[in-house]
Amino acid sequence: MSWASPLPAVALVGAVLTAGATAVTVLDHLAGARTAGRPVRLLPAVGRPAARSALLLLTRRSATPRTDAAAGALAPALLVGMAAAAVAAVPWGRGVAVADVDDGIVLVGAAFAVVMVGVYLHGWSANSPLPLHGGYRFVALALSYEMPLALVLIAAALPAESLSIGAIVESQAGMWNVVRQPLGLPLYLVAGAGLAFWGPLDVADASDLAGGTAAEVSGPARLAWAAAQGAVLTAVAVVGAGVFLGGWHGPVLPGPAWTALKALALLAVLAGAKHRLARVRLERFVVVAWAALIPLALVDVFVSGALAL
Amino acid sequence: MSGGTLVDVAFWAFAVAAVVAAWLVFRVDSMVRAAYWLFASFVAVGFIMVLLGARFLGLVLVLMMAGEMTIMAVFMVMFMMNPAGLNPMTMVHQHRTAIIAGVVAFAGLAGVGLVADFPDRPVAASSEPTAELGRELLGDSMLVFETAGVTLLATMIASIALAAKRGRFGDAAAGSVAPELDPEPPPPDPEEQAGHDHHHDAAGGKEAGP
Repeated sequence: MSWASPLPAVALVGAVLTAGATAVTVLDHLAGARTAGRPVRLLPAVGRPAARSALLLLTRRSATPRTDAAAGALAPALLVGMAAAAVAAVPWGRGVAVADVDDGIVLVGAAFAVVMVGVYLHGWSANSPLPLHGGYRFVALALSYEMPLALVLIAAALPAESLSIGAIVESQAGMWNVVRQPLGLPLYLVAGAGLAFWGPLDVADASDLAGGTAAEVSGPARLAWAAAQGAVLTAVAVVGAGVFLGGWHGPVLPGPAWTALKALALLAVLAGAKHRLARVRLERFVVVAWAALIPLALVDVFVSGALAL
Repeated sequence: MSGGTLVDVAFWAFAVAAVVAAWLVFRVDSMVRAAYWLFASFVAVGFIMVLLGARFLGLVLVLMMAGEMTIMAVFMVMFMMNPAGLNPMTMVHQHRTAIIAGVVAFAGLAGVGLVADFPDRPVAASSEPTAELGRELLGDSMLVFETAGVTLLATMIASIALAAKRGRFGDAAAGSVAPELDPEPPPPDPEEQAGHDHHHDAAGGKEAGP
């Protein structure tokens, strides 16, 4: 277990989340251009996060009557806080960690579970039908992906015989979990897309609900919500890089660079999935999650457990 | 500030937060807010458990309660005639029973707190609370936890069966009537039913009145 002192720890986690949210916007733009057959140019994509932030900051705030302002302000803060907690538990190199707590994978699970509260409260706070509908959709989605997510994280902890993410990365020195547990990463990415209400599983903020939980927010509040989504996606990618892609293990480059590259690769996969895959209907996803994803995740746990014995 | 003082300050902050949040559960006017204040109270208790060295239990408490409080809010909205949980409603009822139960529970817990001889031994740094918990759950206490687990599972299945739209006896909504959009519908009058237009005029006149 290693701990960083508070100030560098906050600065590091904040920098990772900011960089991650920026990368999400850039990759989203690039993937969108590529899928639509537009020229893929790096420079406009790199300028996109700043342009979008400036536009949202200058846009007027919209207001609905009898808004639950506290819940509306809490929702993005909760998402960013939970993403920060999850990112903090992932070590970047051997012994290079903000807080490689010995129950790290449980901390990540708890942080990801609280995201459901944030998204639901965001839909609830606007006091408007479409956002509320989006909030209830997210609850149904989250209750479906939560079990596969928890199970694949538990399966990854089995070969390490530890709940610490540092130990889980260490246990992948010979073979990464993505190879050793082939079911783990795909299931994790499905759950991660749902967790970040992203891509094919963006049912909570879907365009068929005119933006869902974000339908009634504009201006700086909208920017906060976009940043919160970027932070959650970053947390999903960083945890995935550590737990399934071997974290700091890799040739030539230093460990933290490998962790960052793997996280970026996962972000690119998620950005591509958003533009390549059609949105999944919630009713269908719930059935698939309970009838197929949870049994598959259980197989993952049982096989990983048997191999670890 | 030393580490010990910091832990003390954190303990009191979480303790006060747990009590205030629990009090707010009964002061807010919606089931969703009440559920999430209860969640906030549980989170504060979970952090106190983390301070006590029971990191696994504290984090699992937060993990479980995030889902459970949301499910509780959704089930309360489903079972009560409160569209989407948006209508304000009081969270306090059955005052006499509630006061008696509250006083008895408080006296009982306070009595335990005053009388019981709590162990005062710091946990050794080498101890592994998570591993010990696992041995306990799958060892001596297995029967207790399995009994509780199966009971909870039966409760969950029963509540889902109650909430399900279709059951073995047909559609749950069979025979139900959509609620009146007018909050105070005029009393049904057999004579008025024949003259339908007149009925509506009368209702309209009533609404327009003071």
